[in-house]
Amino acid sequence: MQGSSRLISRLILTLFVLWTVATILFLIFRLMPGSPLAAFVSPTFTPEQADSLRRQFGLDKSLLDQYLLFIGNLLQGNLGESFFYKRPVGEVVMTAFANTIALTMGSLLVAYVFGVLMGAMFAWKRGTAIEGVGIPIVLVTRAAPEFWLGMVLLAIFSFGLGWFPGGGANSAGTTFSSDWARIFSLDFLRHLILPAIALALYLQGLPLLLMRTNMLEVMQEDFVTMARMKGLSTWAIVIRHAARNALLPVATAFALGIGQSVGGNVVVETVFSWPGLGRMLVEAVASSDYPLAQGAFLMITTVLVTMNFVADLLYSLLDPRIAHAGHR
Amino acid sequence: MPATAEAGARRAGGGLLAGLGRFLTLVRRDPFATAGILIYTVFLFVAVFADQLATHDPNQILYRANGRVASNQPPFGAFILGTTNLGRDIYSQLIYGARSALVVGVTAAFAVVLIGTLVGLVAGFFRGVADMILMRVADVALGIPFLPFVIVLASFREPSVWNVVIGMALVVWPSTSRVIRSQVLSLRERTFVEAARVTGSSQARILFVHIAPNVLPLSFVYGSIAVGWAILTEASVSFLGFGPTDTASWGSMLQQAYAAQALSRGWYHWFVPPGICIILVVVAGFFVSRGFEEVLFPKLRD
Amino acid sequence: MSVLSVQDLKVHYRTDRGVAQAVRGASFEVPEGQVVGVVGESGCGKTTLARAIMGVMPKTASIAGGKLLFDGVDLVSLSPKDLAARRWRDIAFIPQSAMNSLDPVYRVGTQIAEILIERGGMDKASAKRRAVELFDMVGLDAGRLRDFPHQYSGGMRQRAAIAMALALEPKLVIADEPVTALDVIIQRQVLDTFKDLQSRLGLSVILITHDISVVAYASDRVVVMYAGEVIEAGATAEVLKRPFHPYTMGLYKAFPELHGDGGTLVPIEGTPPNLIHPPSACAFADRCPFVEQRCREVHPPLEPVESGSLAACLRSGEADRLRVLAGEASTWLR
Repeated sequence: MQGSSRLISRLILTLFVLWTVATILFLIFRLMPGSPLAAFVSPTFTPEQADSLRRQFGLDKSLLDQYLLFIGNLLQGNLGESFFYKRPVGEVVMTAFANTIALTMGSLLVAYVFGVLMGAMFAWKRGTAIEGVGIPIVLVTRAAPEFWLGMVLLAIFSFGLGWFPGGGANSAGTTFSSDWARIFSLDFLRHLILPAIALALYLQGLPLLLMRTNMLEVMQEDFVTMARMKGLSTWAIVIRHAARNALLPVATAFALGIGQSVGGNVVVETVFSWPGLGRMLVEAVASSDYPLAQGAFLMITTVLVTMNFVADLLYSLLDPRIAHAGHR
Repeated sequence: MPATAEAGARRAGGGLLAGLGRFLTLVRRDPFATAGILIYTVFLFVAVFADQLATHDPNQILYRANGRVASNQPPFGAFILGTTNLGRDIYSQLIYGARSALVVGVTAAFAVVLIGTLVGLVAGFFRGVADMILMRVADVALGIPFLPFVIVLASFREPSVWNVVIGMALVVWPSTSRVIRSQVLSLRERTFVEAARVTGSSQARILFVHIAPNVLPLSFVYGSIAVGWAILTEASVSFLGFGPTDTASWGSMLQQAYAAQALSRGWYHWFVPPGICIILVVVAGFFVSRGFEEVLFPKLRD
Repeated sequence: MSVLSVQDLKVHYRTDRGVAQAVRGASFEVPEGQVVGVVGESGCGKTTLARAIMGVMPKTASIAGGKLLFDGVDLVSLSPKDLAARRWRDIAFIPQSAMNSLDPVYRVGTQIAEILIERGGMDKASAKRRAVELFDMVGLDAGRLRDFPHQYSGGMRQRAAIAMALALEPKLVIADEPVTALDVIIQRQVLDTFKDLQSRLGLSVILITHDISVVAYASDRVVVMYAGEVIEAGATAEVLKRPFHPYTMGLYKAFPELHGDGGTLVPIEGTPPNLIHPPSACAFADRCPFVEQRCREVHPPLEPVESGSLAACLRSGEADRLRVLAGEASTWLR
């Protein structure tokens, strides 16, 4: 079928992009000044540790052998050992990933629910004062650096009013039975609110403006006029027909948004000392923990590229014109 | 039709000017766009006359009459916006910040739009293998997380604003080139291009004289958005501590304020103004491009 | 007995350059159980008229005067709420392009059920039975109810649109260019189905088209519109055989396949007048081959002529002679 062959070619493209980015990353870290050893072996490692890593990554062999080993290790999820944490990079990255996903999904959900509703409302109120004032405000929130929004929120609500903690994902000294228990604890939620709001403030503009434009376009379609002629209720016309059609691209943007936020959260995570992937990347780069930097970067890339693919998949699932191609 | 090199050059210049002229007429019809242009003008003025407008050297540690460092001075006194914890004048830093923002914004936007437009023109016009390869490269570029990439780049190079420019040039061009490409795909089927082909114009001539001027307004739209993007990115990179330390920029001001615990001490006069400056410049880009789109796609106007 | 009586209807549009008078005092009757064809060039106000009767117009349009008497009730005077309650139950609509008029994200069956449930007060099961029945009536396979609009052919979509229009058993159906988007063979098939249903159900129909051959084939009565006015009206056979208005003569000449004399296709030269500043006299004067000085000074009233039709032409008394001249292609070429 047409639809599935399209998806297969998109999947192949996705894998191709992942492979290319991994290769570029390999080259960047190898072509860096200094010995290739520096990329994987910290002077603080014991001789045994250093030897084992040298063998695993073929650091005494040719660039090509190193590359093949690198890809081979990557496929097995082996990204080497973090200089700072002295633990496998994969493990360290996964913990940070859980924190980042919690922050990303929390802020995106708030942003998209709010953005879609407001966007539909602005389209409905086209040409009124609400729209005239609302649109510039939305554009301003989109123009504001997220980390600056975070700083202002922190100064007011955390340091000024004392309503929220000043940073981190959990209070010092609290322990949990598992990562899941930690993420679903009230303590975690209290820490999550402020960074999630800062991000959501920045993110809501896109779904809002997208929804508004789509609604305005769909409202001009013949089938909306027909729905009015049929005497359907305003609710049915606006929600069932106009909004349902206008939502298609917004759903795609949501999936793309997940991929972009995971990498884009870097600054907000830093402002709020949120132990996520972005902040980990920044710290790894700043402290020359190359294996960790490489691992964090690859993880962020994988999420981005995968979500680009998911967005494509989602669009074809939601749009019957693509999902049900065949039949005449 | 005499197709001398001279006539061709004149036509190309005219096309370029016509494209710019069309852009300006469209912009003038929209109050948002006018506001955006106004902000840009003020911002440009401040950047150019920073030396005259600043009251102090932004990097100089200032002293009070009694010989002690003038640190943490309140605003609206001897110093317009007060001083930092190290005794530097915040207002002057803000003024010079406009200059570095302008440099980053304009160079990065120019690089992005230049690459994006060229790739879009070539891919859309020649199609086939060139199109295929360029669009796969675009797919790869879209798979690279932008800010993390600039951070990794910054870790290998000296801290400088060029990291942002290079990062944007390498990663941000695909969105522009995709739009330009589809525009070119439809333009190359139009009658005036057909006419040029029939009269024996060369490929390069058709591309640069007949097609390019028509996609130029779109390039301006993407350029005005890219300026804001670049300034936002530069601020983020500086805030994370990967920016140059010797020049005053809005991002580094925010980083210093954050590090000096200005948040918990309530020194709003330190970290609020740079944020507002960033917002104003970025939103100006949105206004200009939005005003342009409203006029370009009048279908959405009732 | 008329189902609908259109009386001196005026519809105005706000535009950037001023108010456009799209419909300028149109009057005609729709007798019960008959098909009334409304014919004219694009921009003559026929689609505006249809949408005004439906009570669903663009934001820039408004009814500036006149009455729409449906079963003795003036639709113009009804509140939006009362009007919405009557829509589709009293008057249904068949659109020109069913592709754009069907919501692309729902199955066709779902869209028919929506009308039956929300407007017809049916439960799910009876709505489903009724949908199968409707598809059967218009000659579609009930299995196709589960398909999406884009999976239909053009002819199937128009049939589905007819099924939708008949869902609540309306008294009047307005069909706006219902077969224009189809090729000639399919046009004939869909029209046949429609005509058959119309006579079986005793429907009253307003058939809007620019194609006089469709009017000739499917309508009992015809209303010819020009520049927002009715310029000729009467029994279809009578009007087509003996047109009294030069515009109708010209329109007729533009569709030679109709009378099969193989005459050359001659379009009427010129364009309709600007409706922001419509002429106060005869609107067709500038394009009329038989124009006289008085045509540019006096507005011709819509009056009975000897055939029993109505026509708005100052020279309708000379129609027999003019008709012969209008038969010559050279008359129309200037």
